[in-house]
Amino acid sequence: MSRLFWNSFFAGLLLAGLAASFWPLPEHARYRSLTTVLPDGGRQEDFIIRWPDDRIARGSETVMELPAEAATGAAVLEDSTGQRVSAETFRVRDTADNVIGVAARLAGTGGAIADANRSTSNWLVVIPGRGAIFLSQPDMFDTTARQRDTLNGMITLSAIQDPAFWKGRKEQRVTAATPRYAGRILRGTGEFAGLSGSFRETWQFDGLGTEGRAHGRIVLSTLSESIE
Amino acid sequence: MKKRWPIALAGLLPGMLAGTAFVLFNPLTTGDRPAPLQANLVPDKSYRMDDYRGMSPDLASLFRGADRAAENALATPALAKLRIGIVVLPAGDGRPAALAVKISTLSEQNSLWRAQLGTFDYWNIFWPGEGSVFASGYSNYWPLLQDRFLNLLPGIDGEAAPVYPLSAQPPAGHLAGVNGAAGRYAGFIGEIRESLLMAASGEPGWQLSLKASPPPVR
Repeated sequence: MSRLFWNSFFAGLLLAGLAASFWPLPEHARYRSLTTVLPDGGRQEDFIIRWPDDRIARGSETVMELPAEAATGAAVLEDSTGQRVSAETFRVRDTADNVIGVAARLAGTGGAIADANRSTSNWLVVIPGRGAIFLSQPDMFDTTARQRDTLNGMITLSAIQDPAFWKGRKEQRVTAATPRYAGRILRGTGEFAGLSGSFRETWQFDGLGTEGRAHGRIVLSTLSESIE
Repeated sequence: MKKRWPIALAGLLPGMLAGTAFVLFNPLTTGDRPAPLQANLVPDKSYRMDDYRGMSPDLASLFRGADRAAENALATPALAKLRIGIVVLPAGDGRPAALAVKISTLSEQNSLWRAQLGTFDYWNIFWPGEGSVFASGYSNYWPLLQDRFLNLLPGIDGEAAPVYPLSAQPPAGHLAGVNGAAGRYAGFIGEIRESLLMAASGEPGWQLSLKASPPPVR
């Protein structure tokens, strides 16, 4: 009897060990990274966002069942002196149009951040299973969203998302153009660890949708090299 | 023969319990917590993240991924195991309020033998008129799992700890830290710590602290 008890006890120990070893913990679905190696050894990778289709609405907006144009997914924080920060979240695609991750765009104005009528923006791009890349740039103009002074407090996105902005143009660079003020890759983690370099944010206009809203693509074009 | 099964079961169950306890409390794998911070940039700021999309912040999600229905925006295989939310870090302790985005993804290096059951957390925090920082950290929910296990045992006080320090050394190949991005924090570097605050009902809250300083002059 005693022998059976101890055999069973050790079998239990073994079962717990096997469960800890072979329990199928989740993994991310991932796509092959579509990077281009340049002749000078640099690495180029473009991240694409379809706007407004790839916007991620906030949880509270989906609960309220707002109309599509009101569910911006954006949030605004403004202080009493008019210095403002806005946040928008998106899905991110590779150049083959696979959804591979998410990105957040935070833009701020005023004070130590940017000159008048301009903003500085940060992109946080996260590709599950690969890591994250941190991008920062001064913008050519103010790209922050604003909270309307109305009772419902709805958010107005920056002018670049207005159909009127695209009259007579198909593409707009957002990253300030001078060499001193280029967009920078600050740091990366995981697969992007040890990379440094530059990036450029460009908005492209694809046309007007049936609902009268502008549709297009944001292209984040990164050019990096390993610094470690 | 009939009496053998109860004895086998009486041995098997304690064996499984002892094995589970060994995996959960193995001192060789559970001692990698970094020291708390004397925070300066964000001193122990509590926040809620109710307005998130994606994976729930609970243990079950760490074992099986997202479980929320109607997540159309994230209804694609590559986004099934992440959480994204916009957070307002409240003003206080001499700091204005900040707007932030936090993105958490399941760590693929999770391993029950190594006491790693966690998420990679990525932050971008922006203070109006002041500046912004990026931060990345690794949250290991192992202490929460240990507590849940203890609560299952008879005779153990079922009161949950009010605060669980989550920040842990990240798995190999990943870095934790703070990087200044814009404004007066450009170039700053530092550290991040996060804790989980248990709520009596509803979603839990979090506590964040950041310490960052200008880079050393060369």
